[in-house]
Amino acid sequence: MPAGVTISWPVLAPIVALTSGGLLIMLVDLLSRKVDRAVLFGIGVASCVTAFAAMLPLYGREEVTLGGAFASDRFSWTFDALLLLTLAITFLLSSLRKAEDGGNAGAYGALLIFCTIGGMVMAGANNLIIIFLGIEQLSLALYVLAGTGFPREASQEAALKYVLLGSLASGFLIFGSALLYGASGGISLAPLAAAAANPSGLFVAGFALFLVGLAFKLALVPFHTWAPDVYEGSPLAVTGFMAVAVKVAAFAVLARVVYVVAGHDSVALIPLWILAILSMLVGNLGAIRQRNLKRLLGYSSIAQAGYVIVALSGVGSGGLTTMLFYLTAYALTTLGAFGVMALLGDGSDSYAELDSYRGLLFRRPLPAAAMALFFFSLAGIPATAGFYGKILLLQQALSGGPWGLAMAVTLVFGTLVSFYVYGKVVWYMYAYSEGEAALPTGNALAPWIAVVAGALGTIVFGILPQIFYASQPFLTAAAK
Amino acid sequence: MVNLINTVIFLPLVTGFVLLFVPRTATPVLKGIALTGAVATFVLSLAFLPIGTSAAADLSVPWISGPWLALYHVRIDALRLFFVILTTLVGAGCIWAAFSYGIAARLRGFLFLLLAFETTLLGLFTAADLLLFYIYWDLMLIPVFLLLSGYAGTEQARRAAWGYLIYNGAGGLVLLLGIIALVSQVHSFELPGTTFNLNAQLEWWIFGAFAIAFLVKTPAFPFHSWMPPTYTYSPAPLVAMVSGVQSKAGLFGLLAFALPLFPHAAHSWAPALLVLAVLSILYGAFAAIGERDAKTLVAFSSLSHLGFVWFALFAFNITSVSSSILMLVSHGLIAAALFLLLGFVEERVKTRELSQFGGLSLRAPRLAVFLLIASMAALGLPGLSGFAGEFLILIGTWQTQPLYTLLALVAVVLASVYMLKLFQSTMHGTERVPYQAAVIEMRPREMLLVAPLLAAIIFLGVWPGWLNDRTPSMVDARLTVDTRSTATSLQAKPHVERGTRS
Repeated sequence: MPAGVTISWPVLAPIVALTSGGLLIMLVDLLSRKVDRAVLFGIGVASCVTAFAAMLPLYGREEVTLGGAFASDRFSWTFDALLLLTLAITFLLSSLRKAEDGGNAGAYGALLIFCTIGGMVMAGANNLIIIFLGIEQLSLALYVLAGTGFPREASQEAALKYVLLGSLASGFLIFGSALLYGASGGISLAPLAAAAANPSGLFVAGFALFLVGLAFKLALVPFHTWAPDVYEGSPLAVTGFMAVAVKVAAFAVLARVVYVVAGHDSVALIPLWILAILSMLVGNLGAIRQRNLKRLLGYSSIAQAGYVIVALSGVGSGGLTTMLFYLTAYALTTLGAFGVMALLGDGSDSYAELDSYRGLLFRRPLPAAAMALFFFSLAGIPATAGFYGKILLLQQALSGGPWGLAMAVTLVFGTLVSFYVYGKVVWYMYAYSEGEAALPTGNALAPWIAVVAGALGTIVFGILPQIFYASQPFLTAAAK
Repeated sequence: MVNLINTVIFLPLVTGFVLLFVPRTATPVLKGIALTGAVATFVLSLAFLPIGTSAAADLSVPWISGPWLALYHVRIDALRLFFVILTTLVGAGCIWAAFSYGIAARLRGFLFLLLAFETTLLGLFTAADLLLFYIYWDLMLIPVFLLLSGYAGTEQARRAAWGYLIYNGAGGLVLLLGIIALVSQVHSFELPGTTFNLNAQLEWWIFGAFAIAFLVKTPAFPFHSWMPPTYTYSPAPLVAMVSGVQSKAGLFGLLAFALPLFPHAAHSWAPALLVLAVLSILYGAFAAIGERDAKTLVAFSSLSHLGFVWFALFAFNITSVSSSILMLVSHGLIAAALFLLLGFVEERVKTRELSQFGGLSLRAPRLAVFLLIASMAALGLPGLSGFAGEFLILIGTWQTQPLYTLLALVAVVLASVYMLKLFQSTMHGTERVPYQAAVIEMRPREMLLVAPLLAAIIFLGVWPGWLNDRTPSMVDARLTVDTRSTATSLQAKPHVERGTRS
């Protein structure tokens, strides 16, 4: 370690806590092969709580450590909290099915944790190398997780597709980073901002490749083709984790790059706006024909990623608050929806087919009502968090010039299409009284916790968004 | 008084949630609770009658102060009072009527959704904050969509539900775009009440967004294509609520928000909106004449009658504008009564095709009398409320828009044609009923639930001034605001003048 580099351990404490949790899971699993899965996942949830507790003292005090490579600041706090929430809920959802983890709960739990650490590294990464490290750690662990449902061929297929296309994306990222280094003469983001003000050809090429790499990870159109297949094939809990954690972490990187390097009105970001518009259109239109709920949520997550980008289009740091609010709403509703699927599935695969939801409201009123709530929130029906998120997005877009206006109109059109997409699921549960042969009957406690947490968050943030602002005083003060 | 507002708004919803805790099979209990809640809401809403034209019950609580200001601000004043009472009155009748509709096992859900629908409507009509208004505006979609898709039980109804959702969802999103465009300029949903300056072009666009959403919701020509299937295939209590109350949402939005917020743009949009209003009036009337399905016929007559209100508002005449609430309330009562009565007819003869049945007055004379009163009110017979509203509106519009008034008068004549056709072919002539139909006389419950609507129709027909005296100052002030601001904008924007003075 070169002299002069200081390490601020409090900043790294959450990551250290998580890492020890992951190692502990592996150790326990190694020492006793007969240990119950619930114990391993319990350790996982406990390490989430510990990491969250370690985060609390950091809140509101921006700090950069490791020689400017890693930051604890407004970009990282909420993203980290969301990642920890996602991880905890994924553990809850994983506790039901043996096939979900390929029968190897220890490795599965540890990989989930290491994956989340990758996400937290991304959220705090302040230079190109750390960004790449975080992305790789997240991705490598996730490639394996996607394949853990290996008795099913679809899971193997998903893992293979994810590895191949994901590595390609990493190639773009690392090549783009190299060019950016060449253009700016530094690996941290500050010199990049100077290079962005007066872009050379090298910078443009590097930035474009970097964006392409991130767009792959975020599954933005036209780099989205892997997403529906991988979402459908991966084990349920992993799909839920993928839909939320990967997006949250990649958006943390994107937000930092946009705010620090570019600026919302930069010409360099026009390709990003185009990606957002395409994603909103293709994601929503593509979801229309889907009959498999995981696949439908795959397309939906493409569209939702498009919505989130809209938050970056407006002026000021209000955009960051908007992005965080929308991501929080998206995380709560998506995890809640996966929770309902895990709850009903209870070990079978029937939960993923839309047909098995026929008449669900009359057989299982509470899960059906919760599912309806989550889909209403994704569609942006009022009194849900998704609705308030959407009006924040629209406001950002309408303050963002002609591209903002174009995105606002697309967002509204996409939302209209999504009324049909999400309405169809509610319709299946409700308009028919007769169900198909395979009746989902599960009623386990762990997924119920996820469902209730998601539903509460969706309603509370939808009706009283002020609570969210109150929890982000640092951001909202900056927005005013 | 102030705290009573929330009670009135949320009592139906709370009643609905109480129902969810009653077993599905305990139908007498379900019915008792639902009706008690609905009637209690109506009685409580009457407590606001004495507020008069200058006072208001106003409740305002801080809500959001992030990137913008929004208050939980509800209000019952002279403008809103009769919309609220109309909702609670029609709501109580519809909940009572719902007892005999739909699949018995699904009665609980039916009642719950109707009660929730009533709350969204009451919330809309009391909202004084634009965000609150929009929330209820959009929330309304859900109960109607679910009631239509889940309880009518026919494939056509399910298709109609999608038409309703997509069409009204599109209207709502356009409205949202307009609202956010406005709010991103003024940073407050607490409107009106904030003074702000918009550039004229933006104001024009925003008012256009509001107008399109309101045209879809009412509906008006050419945004009405969701209406005939929705009205035709809905269960009677639902369509009575949609046509009787929900169709007033857009016009209420104009009176409470769009006109006072954007007076200049309202005047520049007026020529186009007047044309649409007159087209609605005429198209609705002609389509109703040609219609063979009883409920679709009333649906088109509704299009025609609400066209009169659009006409009244954009004629910018003091008499016509201040009679618009009378016309809206009257139409709400008449449409709800007609759809409920036609529901009773359909229940008896199992069809809506006018050619398939007739002569019901022999077996059900009281049903015939009830339908006679409602259809006479709809065709504008003096002494019933429909006449009072139309007459006052046409007197007013004649002064500013004589040509359009003449065209609208044609529709008044046509109304006699289609309403008489409806009444004669169902009630008069020799008895013709389809095989297996059992025509029985109106049950006491059916008479009791429609009677208040008919009583109100007669009361307002005999004494329209009673209602008009309780509404004018609000509407007057709005109109004078409009004229004054137009006067000041005459020099700056000559094209506005054509809209007002032609």
